[in-house]
Parts: sequence; structure tokens; C-alpha cells
Amino acid sequence: MRVNKPLEVVIVGGGTAGWMSAAGLLGGLKPGLVRVRLVESDDIGTVGVGEATLPHMRTFNERIGIDEADMMRATNATFKLGIEFRDWGFRGSSYVHPFGVHGHPIGGVGFQHQWTRARLAGQAADIGDYAYAIVASRRNRFEFPSKDLSAINSTYDHAYHFDAGLYARYLRGWCEARGLTRTEGKVREVRLAPETGDVAAIVLESGDVIGGDLFIDCSGFRGLIIGGALNGPFEDWTRWLPCDRALAVPTERSEDFTPFTRSTALEAGWQWRIPLQHRTGNGYVYSSSFISDDEAVTRLMGNLDGAPLAEPKPIRFRSGRRTASWTKNCIAVGLASGFLEPLESTSIYLTQVAVLTLLDLLPRPKVDPALAAAFNRVVDNEYDRVRDFLILHYHANSRDDAELWRHCREMTVPDSLREKMELFVHRGHIAQYRNGLFSPPSWLSVFVGQGMVPTGYHPMADSTPLEAVTAEMEGLRRKISDRVDAMPTHADFVRGYCKGEAPLKAAGGQA
Amino acid sequence: MSRRVEQVVVIGRDAAVWLSALAVQRALGRAGAKVRVIEMPSLLTTADVYAAVPSLGGLHRLLGLNEAAVLEAAEGLPVLGQRFVDWGAAPFIHGYDTHGVTLSDIEFTQILTRARGEGLPVPFEDFCLAAAAAKQGRSPVTRAGVSADQPVSVGYHLDARAYVDLLRGAAIQAGVEARAGDVAEVERSGDRVLSVTLTDAEVVQADLFIDASGPAAVLASGAPGPGFESWRSWFGANRLLVASAPRLKPLPAFSQIAAFPAGWVGLHPLKSRTAVVAAFDSRAMSDAQVLQALPGLTGLPLTGEATVEHLHPGMRPAWVGNCIAVGGAAVSLEPLDAVQLHLIHLGLSTLVSLFPTEVEAMPEAAAYNRAIASHVANVRDFQLAHYVLNRRDGEAFWDRARAPELPGGLRARLQLFGARGRVLQGEDESFQPQNWAQILIGHGLIPADPDPAVDAVPAAEQIEKVQGLLRRIAGEVRAMPALDAEFGAA
Repeated sequence: MRVNKPLEVVIVGGGTAGWMSAAGLLGGLKPGLVRVRLVESDDIGTVGVGEATLPHMRTFNERIGIDEADMMRATNATFKLGIEFRDWGFRGSSYVHPFGVHGHPIGGVGFQHQWTRARLAGQAADIGDYAYAIVASRRNRFEFPSKDLSAINSTYDHAYHFDAGLYARYLRGWCEARGLTRTEGKVREVRLAPETGDVAAIVLESGDVIGGDLFIDCSGFRGLIIGGALNGPFEDWTRWLPCDRALAVPTERSEDFTPFTRSTALEAGWQWRIPLQHRTGNGYVYSSSFISDDEAVTRLMGNLDGAPLAEPKPIRFRSGRRTASWTKNCIAVGLASGFLEPLESTSIYLTQVAVLTLLDLLPRPKVDPALAAAFNRVVDNEYDRVRDFLILHYHANSRDDAELWRHCREMTVPDSLREKMELFVHRGHIAQYRNGLFSPPSWLSVFVGQGMVPTGYHPMADSTPLEAVTAEMEGLRRKISDRVDAMPTHADFVRGYCKGEAPLKAAGGQA
Repeated sequence: MSRRVEQVVVIGRDAAVWLSALAVQRALGRAGAKVRVIEMPSLLTTADVYAAVPSLGGLHRLLGLNEAAVLEAAEGLPVLGQRFVDWGAAPFIHGYDTHGVTLSDIEFTQILTRARGEGLPVPFEDFCLAAAAAKQGRSPVTRAGVSADQPVSVGYHLDARAYVDLLRGAAIQAGVEARAGDVAEVERSGDRVLSVTLTDAEVVQADLFIDASGPAAVLASGAPGPGFESWRSWFGANRLLVASAPRLKPLPAFSQIAAFPAGWVGLHPLKSRTAVVAAFDSRAMSDAQVLQALPGLTGLPLTGEATVEHLHPGMRPAWVGNCIAVGGAAVSLEPLDAVQLHLIHLGLSTLVSLFPTEVEAMPEAAAYNRAIASHVANVRDFQLAHYVLNRRDGEAFWDRARAPELPGGLRARLQLFGARGRVLQGEDESFQPQNWAQILIGHGLIPADPDPAVDAVPAAEQIEKVQGLLRRIAGEVRAMPALDAEFGAA
């Protein structure tokens, strides 16, 4: 065996991205390959909007060896089967983007084709009635999916809602128990090597100089190294995703303990609602071009289903991504690499992709640029895919009550998205791709939920008699409904599996 | 919904026309599509061969064709790969069917890169079951057909004429209507084909036309739009020769692709003859010179007829208006890496998934063309990799082949592999990372440095696992029958 010096990695910034990077490097690699140091300051707050996740997070936990129930207890987590979108396509509408499929192929074609055919014949129910995860969501039920792949209750997946601050703290404890060096301090200066332009060291306000082979910039929106010292360009997507501010406010836990995130479209953006065990997370993502900050506060505070536990916290952002997340020997992870609003809970997913891709392409102390190029191809593709999916939510709407929605309806969307929409409406076609989010069931739920219904379907659908198809669909609908009725409630399941902190109470409130 | 697509006319020849007709008939016949074939005069000679990667087996299953019957009817052999000789590095076999192997959670290529760097003398191909079996003349398929638990899937060598006869029979039996004919004139309105007049004056109309006429592209070449994109700057060979030689004894389980000063010559064993195919540059050697040189290059005398035709790699937008070009009418590539029928297969599987829903508007065309272009670019890059990595220094044809400005995707692939031995899969890939690794390493692109994770696996553990893998492969190879024993009798 050849003995190589371990790669010296310096992570700048704690928060979700910093601690996920650290945990990934410590838990996802064989021992002795890296030495990780993390610099953060307790004086710098973290954003922590990303409290809802995607099912992919389980892959991350498994890879690095994190126990689900343990993590859920420590972060007051709940389960998530999808996202409910209220008032998005039009006022009064509601649909769920589920973690799971709608129906199954019938007669050699995807379910949506037969559903469209039955619908055109007046014989189809709401598409959500054929998706197990949606029916369970609507009834506030949860249990783990069956491992028997022929069972109807194997057709969904789950993710988490958790307290991002507690999650970072949890990962910190996990990392420190595995030998990570955490340094408290603020970065005063980033030193570049004059001959290569690589990052040589960071200098803290204390005067300490920390050198390394690889620097991971988890400093949030400002991108201390990637945007500051390395001056990497940023691709701005505001023309498609106009929201640029958010307000976040926690409220008391609600009686309505949903196994899903709720996103409600408002006049100038949308409001999130994330149920945790000890509280509910809420926020308003809005565009400052369409509403003032004061009006946004009033709108949010008047639209909560629990007593607020704090003042709303303002956040500013710009949608887009770094042109090159990995530049020289610096990798931007999390908000330093780009921002996409949390409409589809992709922040932690994008961080996870960056961390796992880094493990996969781990450099030697002298970084080979071919690895950086490959990393950037993977990460860019992920951002671009999510971008199109988010734009769809804004663009496909028929709301006529607010300027933002008219603006989004009339904006020019990327060609990649325009073609997808056209083919869906024309024939219910949804392309499946190998790399990146989202899969066809996700597209299907959002297309239909936003009010785009196919006018045609795959001609092969006609090979099966319509009566046989509608009978199968009806049988499926009943089977789902009956099985969901046998599930425990989400509240009971969480209490039994991962009970965390007791619900918080607002100051002056009565228990 | 407006009027549905019912009348489908497939105009063309050889494998493309019958595979297209059969695929559409099988997929959409019950939904009401009526398929009619206008069969143009064949361009195949008694010497022609189709070499196919294992995906053809999947197509056959979809088309309801029995494997044993196909092999039996078409002089066929179930082969496992291609052996590259004289490309500059030592000879190697590219085994078609590959499985990603990991040892201690590390991709095998990484372990092997380190082991070879430290002097392990075992060639890379010995770790690929398909290549190892091919090397020993073994294949898992018996004369009676495919065994269910075969550890590796096979590619094919098929006598082209016999295969086309089989396909024609199957298509007609499936309900396809057919007549012989040739195109005199195409009447268009905008980007749509209104009708096709045949040389005997019959006027053929359809909701959808499929052009399966090969490089002539009798319908597609006249379509409005950007037209044919030439790849001549990457592929210097402009002549394609086919001929026959006596059968090899014992029958090898691979094709042999040997480079020579003007291009390459492929030997494709069939049951009772060897098909000889050569792609070359007429600037380096004339047709006559190549014909004369072939016996020396192959060590075999030529028998029967030999023909040479023009070769021009490139592609055109396959779907324009209501006409879809499939196979050679859309894409022209060298018959390297056994991709000829695969290109037809790609077109047909994409067509079945995007079969137009109505006559008047076909917005599927853009998505279809983008998918095909992306798939084909990856196949093209795979072929191109052989050329750019050649080491035949001092020969004009081969020196030029190393020189061109590469497509961006291939450049990035070669850089990443050269640095780390990794192949990142994009969308629309026909060849798997292990296929790439085999040819890149085979042609001498050795990764500079493996994944640091390899450092963390003790050397003894690596050696033990590498030996274990070799033993397992040897055992699996021994369990396969010798190809010659199964197919070489008579």
C-alpha cells in the first residue's frame, strides 16, 4: 500500500452546508484519507430555511452512517410524504406533489395516458386519488412503506421536516465525536498563492492562519472565498424566479399535524408551513418588486395557524448559481454555490449532491482541474433541472388577482421547459432522465396540479379496451383508499418512533 | 383530438425497412395503425454482414423474434466483443456486455489502475467476463438457444441478406402489407410529405412516412431545414468495402478490427464464412490497392463478390414534418463497434415512445430529434475515441486522426479518464462506463492517478480480491460451451 498524506480540508462556515460537508467527509470515506477542519463563528447566524427535505436524504444518512430515529429525535423531526400546493394554479386550488407514483402502467403505456383517456371519456377521478402518498397525506397518515414491492403501500417514499439549527448541531456533535477540529472564529482574509491563484490559507480575526489543500466555502450567500477572493461569476435567474426576499417565523405546533409541507401562493410570492414536533416553521417568500417588506410582514402574520414564537426574521437572496462551484482548490457548497427558493425543498438535496459528488471525485492535494470540471457538470445539471421545475410552478398559473402572477404567466421560459410543457399538453409525455431531479411522477403532479391537462395521450393506450382500463383504475383507487385507512396517524407514528422535545408555547400563552 | 395517425408508409430497404415496419406494427397495430412497406431494391450483396451489440436481443424480444431461430436462419454467431489489433497499443478485446465490479466499495478500474501501476501483469480485459470468454472462444449461447441464467449477454454476427429475409417474413406474418417499388418523385407542402410517386406511377399517401432507405435518404434528403451535418473532419475514411473469406477454424467469439495504413479492416466470423469489412481513406489507398492488400492484412483469401461504396459519416434531423428517417437515412456512421443495427433500434424505440398522436401537428419531432442527436453523439464519440487514441505514428491517415478538435463531450471524458479513470454517465448513453474504460485503457489511455480511496485498502486485501475476481471469471468462462463446438460443426 502506498502511504499518502491525507488531504487537508478546511471548511469555512457551519450551518447545514458546512456540517453536512464535514459529516460527509468523515463518514463517507475510508479512514485516513482526509483531515477536516471547520471554522465557524457563533456570532454569524445561519439561514436555516431548509427545514423540509427530499427522500434522497436517506441515501446521505445511510452513506455516512446516521441513524434515522436518532437524528429525528434530536431535530424534532416529522415525516414528509410530499408538498401540498394551495392556490398555485388558480385561487382555491390544492394539489399534492407526492413522493411516490400515480397508478401504474396499463397496457404498455404510462398511467397518465390511460388517465387522460378515461378523463376525456368522463370516467376518471382526480389524479391524486390514484397516488398512495397523496391519499395518505390528505388523511394525515404515516407509516413506513412496505418492502414487498407488490404491495400497494410500497408505492411511496418519505422524507423529513426538521429543525435545521438542531440538525447542524446534531451533525456537529456527530463530527466532533469522530475527531473533527472545530475552530471558533471569523475569517479576516483569504490568502491566494501568487503563482497559481489557488487558495493558500485563511486568516482569522484572531490572527490564526489556517492553510489547507482544499477549501470548502460554506459561508452562505456572500461566498466569502468563491465570490470574494476568487471572484467567481454568478448566473442570475431573477428573470424567471422573481422572488428575492423571505420572512421566517415559527409558531406553536398546530393541531393539524400534517405529513407534508404546505406551500400557499400569495399575492407576491408564497408561504411555507412546515410541521415539526415542537413548533411549526412558517415563512413568506416574496418579490420585493411586488410587495413592500412591511406589507409582507402583515400578510404573513395574519395568515398563521398558530401563535407566533418570535418576530419574523428577514432574509434576502438572489436566485441563480455560481458559474463554477468548484474553482481552483475551492468548492462552494450550499448557499455559497447558488440559491433556489425552497419551494421544492431542494436546498439540502443540492448540498447533498455537492458533498457526495466531492466524495466521488476526491482530489489529491494538487487538485486536477479535470475533477473540478466533472464536478461542475454534475452540480450545474442539478441546478438547471431544479430551476426549470420551479419556474413551471410560477409560469403555469391562471391567477388574475395579482401582478406577480400575470408577470410570471407572460414571461419567456427556458426552451428546455417550454418543450416539456408543450409535449405534456399535447400528449401527456414526460421525459425521464438519468441525472438530476425530478422524476416523471413529480412533473405529472405539478403539470396537472397547476391546471395543465393533456389534450391527447399515447396512441398505444387504445390497444386496451377502455372498460378494462377504467375498471383497473377504479380497483386501484379503492385499494389505496382502504389501505390508507389502516395506517396510523402521523402524530401517533412520530410519537412512537422518534419523540423529541415537547411543543413550545408562545410567551404569555396558556398551556 | 384531431385525426389520428393511421396510415403509416415505410419506404426503404434492407434491415431498416423491415425492422421499422415490424416495430410499428407490433406497437401500434392493435391501436389501429396500418403499416405498408414500399421495399426498394436491396443494396446488400452476398458478402454483407450485420454485427450487432447485445441490445439487439432486446429488440428481438420486443419484435417477437426467437433468438435461436434468428441465429439459425442468418448464419448467425453469438459473439462477445471486438478485438482491436494494430491500433498502436497491444491488442485488446472490448467485451460488449459489462458489469460494474466493485471491490471494497471501490470501482474496480480504480483498484486495477493502482495494481497495474505497481506492476500487476494481468491485462484489463481479463477482468471482463465477456472479453475473457471471447478470448477463449467461448460464448454462453448454445445452438438450441439462450440459457436463462447466462452470466453475460451476447452480440451478433448475422448474414445480412438472410437476416433481412427473416425480418421480411416476420413483418408480413405480423400483418404488414408490402410491395416492391422505387421512388420517382416526392410531393411536399412546407415540411410535410403529401405523397410519393413510385416509378410505376403509383401515388402513395400516408399520415406518416418513415424513410428507411439508408444513406440515399430518398424522402429525408429533400426535406427543408438544416440538412446533413458532415463529420468528415473527425472520420477520415470515405470508402467502405465488403467481401467474404473462408470460415475461420475454430470459430472465434469476437470480431477482429485491425488497423492498417489507410483505415481498418474487420473480420466478422459467421457459421460458414467470414465477412470482411474495411473502412478506409481513398487518399491513402485506392479501392484496388486495398483489395489487393486484404489477403495479406487478414491472412485469408477473399472469395465471392466484393463491393466498395462511398462512406460519409454525419447526420441530419431525423424527423421533419410527417416524415421520420430511421437508420442510415438519418445517421451515417462507420460499421465500427457493431452499432449499425443499434442506430436503427435507437430510432425505433424513441419513435414508439413518441409515436405521433395526430396527423396535423407533430410537436414530438423536436424532442425526438434532440434525443436521437444526443444518443448518436455519444455513439459517435465512442467510435471517435478509437481513432484519436491511435498510436500509429508517421502514417498520414492516422496522424490526422489524432489531430482533430474534439467534440466537447469527448474531450471532457478523455480528460477525466486520463486524470482519474472515471467515466461519468450523461443522458442517452449506449455504452456503459465499463465499455469506455475497456477501450480507453485498451488504446493506452492510462489514468494518471486512481481514487485516493484505493490507498485506504491494504495491498494484501487488494491482491486477494483481484485474484478472487480472476478465479470467479475463470470459473464462469469454463462453464460456457466453446462457440466452435456449438456452431462450428458441419
